[in-house]
Amino acid sequence: MKGTLFTAAAAAVLLGAGPAAAQGIFVGHLADYTGATSDVGKPYGQGVADALAYINAHGGINGKKIEFETVDYSYEVPRAIATYKKWTGEKKVAAIQGWGTGDTEAMVGFVAKDQIPYFSASYSGHLTDPAGKGTHGSKAAPYNFFYGPSYTDGCRALVQWAAGDAKKKGIAAPKFVHLGDNHPYPNAPKVACGDYAKEMGFTIVPPIQYSLKPGDFKAQCLSLKESGANYAFLANTGGSTISLLKSCETVGVNTEFMGNVWAMDENALKAAGDAANGVVFVVGAADWKSDAPGMKTVRDISKVSDASGNLYRPVHYMRGICSVFYMRDAMVAADKAGGVTGPNIKKAMEQMKGHVPAELQGVCIPSTWTAEDHRGTTTVHIYEATSKGGSQGIKQIGESVIPRKPEWLGW
Amino acid sequence: MASTPSALIPCGQFKTGYRKDTTIFPTPAARAFAIAAVVLLCLLPMKIGGVELLSKYQMNLLIQIGYYGIAALGLNILVGFTGQISLGHAAFFGFGAFASAWLNNSFGVPVFWAIPLAGVLTTLVGLLFGIPAARIKGLYLAIATFAAQFILEDFFSRANWFTGGSAGTMAQPFSLFGYEIDGDHGYFYVVLAYVVVLYLLGTNLMRSRDGRAFVAVRDHYLSAEVMGINLTHYRVLSFGVSAFYAGIGGALFGHYLGYVSAESFTILLSIQFLGMIIIGGLGSVMGTLLGVAFMVLLPEGIGMLSKSVGGVFPAMVEGLAFVKEGAIGLVIVLFLIFEPDGLAHRWKMIKAYWKLYPFSY
Repeated sequence: MKGTLFTAAAAAVLLGAGPAAAQGIFVGHLADYTGATSDVGKPYGQGVADALAYINAHGGINGKKIEFETVDYSYEVPRAIATYKKWTGEKKVAAIQGWGTGDTEAMVGFVAKDQIPYFSASYSGHLTDPAGKGTHGSKAAPYNFFYGPSYTDGCRALVQWAAGDAKKKGIAAPKFVHLGDNHPYPNAPKVACGDYAKEMGFTIVPPIQYSLKPGDFKAQCLSLKESGANYAFLANTGGSTISLLKSCETVGVNTEFMGNVWAMDENALKAAGDAANGVVFVVGAADWKSDAPGMKTVRDISKVSDASGNLYRPVHYMRGICSVFYMRDAMVAADKAGGVTGPNIKKAMEQMKGHVPAELQGVCIPSTWTAEDHRGTTTVHIYEATSKGGSQGIKQIGESVIPRKPEWLGW
Repeated sequence: MASTPSALIPCGQFKTGYRKDTTIFPTPAARAFAIAAVVLLCLLPMKIGGVELLSKYQMNLLIQIGYYGIAALGLNILVGFTGQISLGHAAFFGFGAFASAWLNNSFGVPVFWAIPLAGVLTTLVGLLFGIPAARIKGLYLAIATFAAQFILEDFFSRANWFTGGSAGTMAQPFSLFGYEIDGDHGYFYVVLAYVVVLYLLGTNLMRSRDGRAFVAVRDHYLSAEVMGINLTHYRVLSFGVSAFYAGIGGALFGHYLGYVSAESFTILLSIQFLGMIIIGGLGSVMGTLLGVAFMVLLPEGIGMLSKSVGGVFPAMVEGLAFVKEGAIGLVIVLFLIFEPDGLAHRWKMIKAYWKLYPFSY
């Protein structure tokens, strides 16, 4: 019995690793469904997977099907790299829809060498410099793209909002603090945004560290209270933000919380309850209740994984769809220009000017990529969460366009 | 009778000296087999008629077996031969990876030299964290090495100058005489060379005075001390040797992956190393490699099995991640019950079966 099992396993090892026979265009999809950022990884990953399936059902890339594989890498960099090696070792990879900052930044060199366009859900400013010309020591990331405002630009927009808010409330010398884990993702905007806040007249309080994994953060909230910070930038994802907001409510912190693009969404608001009342955060596309014309397509895409069409999709879902559709448009253009290859997709991406995918008007923010600048968009939607006595909601309270300063490239 | 080497092993003990008793290869045929195996492995990355014998991914699995095998041998020297315990092996593995990348990035030491130097640096760290072994043993020692795991892990995510902090650090590819060995097919030779050299070293260590002292400490430390073996010296030395192997393995891992980050080296990997040597066979050099090969190939085998039966049971594919983890756990439990001496023992049984075929006694 044991012998047979071994033989079978050995045979499977020997036979199974043959090349994939499909003719489609292969797109790798790295998602975090079980790791530290799975709270926001699930809706985003679902958006990506649904959009890919929807595109296949509606003609694919000029008739060619996108063949995609979703791998849950649990937010562990080594697993992402191992998956990347597996994909590139087994087949021709046209593009990758990725996820976290740690893994995306780790693979910048690989994807550049293998010429594989990498669409990350990491909006780290370090990925916006394709030629390595940034003045803050950024390395060239020629094959990295993402849809949405960079973390740093998102944070800058919040700082602008905070400056206006401070003036309105008559706070003379407002204090600003960065809260996040010691991890590439929360660290990405830390220095650059702190620098901007200083420029805007804020006093910078030493950053406070809280884990990406939800826990009891009362100690952090006490330090926050002691620091006397007026505005706190939350650089983690929703899961840990919930715990932080609740802990800080218990401790009695009255700092104004500002969340980055992954720090707050409808799920987090629901879980945090009234503790999340008044949190201001970055949103990078239309929300589910929007009546933009492109939302019709979004609702059709949503039916891929929710036939009833009743499911409410959090804000991240829309950005996942946008990321896929920009890639789709670049692939269609690349196909016409000689083939869906990495360099062709890159070239097509870099020719987009104020582009919005045809079916998603009003959903995705018009985006422009060039060979020197991969800051797709610098437009930031600022939302506020409200929660009082059982009634909850999010609404847009502002929009900010961050200038494309050359010295901010790759930072 | 034993003056001329024979391809056959005589029936009975006819050895007339310790030298013959501790020989690595009992017969010339055994040595020829071992050399043939290495030559065969050297042929694997070749192309025949423009077609690669093994795909990049299959090479990747072999390379994994190589660097994990080196590190696991270190742990087997510590646990299997010296009878100590370590729950911090992954941290030493990680230290080697970071040290090699650091030496290369910060001081321009060529990767060729950075790998052995990283092994030396890791040895020093291993000696340091091995000091508690001088006083404590068993479960208490396990907890003490557990501390090493946590201290080093935290150090990795904070020491920006050394590890690049939480963002990790890039590791340059291996180069020799100005020629960059980049692809999996080339790197395989680098790992193979290290495996052959370090496994021979390991085997030879066990034939030396120090190796016998390790075994004596394991078998009965009181008797060993009475015989004049310095317990503290050998326990700590064993930690050092073990860390050296871990460091080399880690360095090979780092330069292979091209990127080193603190999250690779968690307690889970430490436990996985223990699993490898338990499955392979505690106190067996050959078994270590078998155990590592088993642990690396098992998830692949199960993945393929569940994919191939996916047509019949679609739930198998969806639950793949769970099936994989579950199967590994189950296999370890089954091993402990049915094969407590590991794969090395099973290998001996198979050899004995054919040696005595068809009349076993």
